Amino acid sequence: MVGPGRQERAWIRGAQGGSASDLEALFREHWPRAHRAAFLVVQDAAAAEDIAQEAFLGAVRNLDRFDRRRPFGPWLHRIVVNRAIDWARARSLRRETGEVETGGDEFDTGELGNPFSEGIAAGLASLKPEQRAVIVLRYLLEYSPGEIAELLDLPRGTVNSRLRRGLDRLEDILDRERR
Amino acid sequence: MSTETELRRALQRIQAPDELEGLRRAWPLVRAAFEAREPVAWQRRNQWPLLAAAVVVAILAAALTSPGRALVGSVRDAVTSETVKPKPALTSLPAPGVLLVNSKNGPWRVQFDGSQRRLGPWWEGSWSPQAKYVIVTRGHRLAAIDPNAKGAIRWSLARAGTVRSARWSREAGDRVAYLNGRQLRVVAGDGTGDGPLRQLVGPTPPAWRPGGDRELAFSTVDGRIELVETDSTKTRWRTDPGEVPTQLVWSEDGERLLVLAERSLRVLDAEGHRLWATGLSVGPSGAAFVRKSHRFVLIRFSPATGRSDLVLLQAEREPGEARFLYSAPGDFGTLAMSPNGHWLLVGWVNADQWLFLRLTASKVVAISGIVEQFGGSERQGPLSKTFPSSVSWCCPASP
Repeated sequence: MVGPGRQERAWIRGAQGGSASDLEALFREHWPRAHRAAFLVVQDAAAAEDIAQEAFLGAVRNLDRFDRRRPFGPWLHRIVVNRAIDWARARSLRRETGEVETGGDEFDTGELGNPFSEGIAAGLASLKPEQRAVIVLRYLLEYSPGEIAELLDLPRGTVNSRLRRGLDRLEDILDRERR
Repeated sequence: MSTETELRRALQRIQAPDELEGLRRAWPLVRAAFEAREPVAWQRRNQWPLLAAAVVVAILAAALTSPGRALVGSVRDAVTSETVKPKPALTSLPAPGVLLVNSKNGPWRVQFDGSQRRLGPWWEGSWSPQAKYVIVTRGHRLAAIDPNAKGAIRWSLARAGTVRSARWSREAGDRVAYLNGRQLRVVAGDGTGDGPLRQLVGPTPPAWRPGGDRELAFSTVDGRIELVETDSTKTRWRTDPGEVPTQLVWSEDGERLLVLAERSLRVLDAEGHRLWATGLSVGPSGAAFVRKSHRFVLIRFSPATGRSDLVLLQAEREPGEARFLYSAPGDFGTLAMSPNGHWLLVGWVNADQWLFLRLTASKVVAISGIVEQFGGSERQGPLSKTFPSSVSWCCPASP
């Protein structure tokens, strides 16, 4: 995990000092990845927005306690991903108990229309929330397995096995896409 | 190319729907929370005063002051049942007026001094314009009853379908609109001249346009909103299809209409043009206009956190910055604005409480045991089923 850049440290210092514009810069910098990470785990646009929003609200509430020598991203992503996992588990439970579920939103696979993206999206949907979370942390947010273990408060071996199983599943799907 | 590389590239390309819109929606809330926060050292030293201050901050001057100068903040985690000690019974209302409460055991009238009377074994009721009568329904029957004469029936009629969602026109009080199955009908205020207005409509309760010439808004089965002149039966305007709403709410001047559905909110002007719309999370919802204003309070539920927020928005070309009024865990179930516009009644379902929020100063009054006070009990089912479904606070003076 690398330390925060000079710019980010300045934004955090400014926000802690009461600067709304510095907070906004920090928010705009981190919103897209936080929102996207939540969406990839919960696969529901409205819930993802709520989760990302709540994570930022939580961050704001605790801003004064934040050590600005540390990067802001992992702090935020820990909240986002853990809440997303909780939400996805709760949804699975609701499905089991037969509560009415609204349809999820379609993935937007980007301007390039990479066909593998669609396969990946479908493959992610077939994984358990906990597996999706480690995949997202590893390949979207670029954390190492050790860092993921720390973020999710899991043994490193558990992270590795979840990554392996998730990758195997996605590899099968990508192989079918290639054919 | 390895699977890991492909995966990395694909994930970087995938975009969540509405990512930028979400950013636009979230930022005002984050900033409001930021502006309301206190430095940590001060917070630790002043924990209890902070709670009181949070109430002060929460109970918003915002509703009645200009958005730019409003003192507003997020009070998440600060104002909850722990910070507002509820009173065990409703001994009086905080503002003049009279409540009509629709409970599982029928409609109740609550007067300013807190006295309550059940109005009979009806399923639901709504006020006549000056609270002189209540229009009630049960099964196939529609009736006008006198709440001052122990619920004596003034007139009634029966129809083949299930009768519900009766609404008395506010201005002259001389028309009542109601649903009979999927049919929309109108009857004169004295029970005469009953007839169909439309044969097939959506399930949304119809809403008379304030100040209109007997104009009634209703939803169609495909979620269009239609405004009809009830005397001529002519359609004044009709919107495009959309999600079928649960609630239609007019501003006091009849110039704005909120179309609230499970997953969306549409804001229309008096000509049916859409000013703006937004998506909502599935969950409890409700909206109420601030008096003499185009600003309104909206219940926003967050499935991710299980909390409900009250936010203030405006029914203008832009929604403006959402401003937090209040937040609590669980569901808010009903909203009612006091006739003088100073108080907002909020039904907090999970806590079995009513919250009266003072909009012009810094006060919250909580009343506990609401279900029991309106004839319910734990044996009848969970709070989500037994908590009063709606409240209206009569009667605002004419604008």
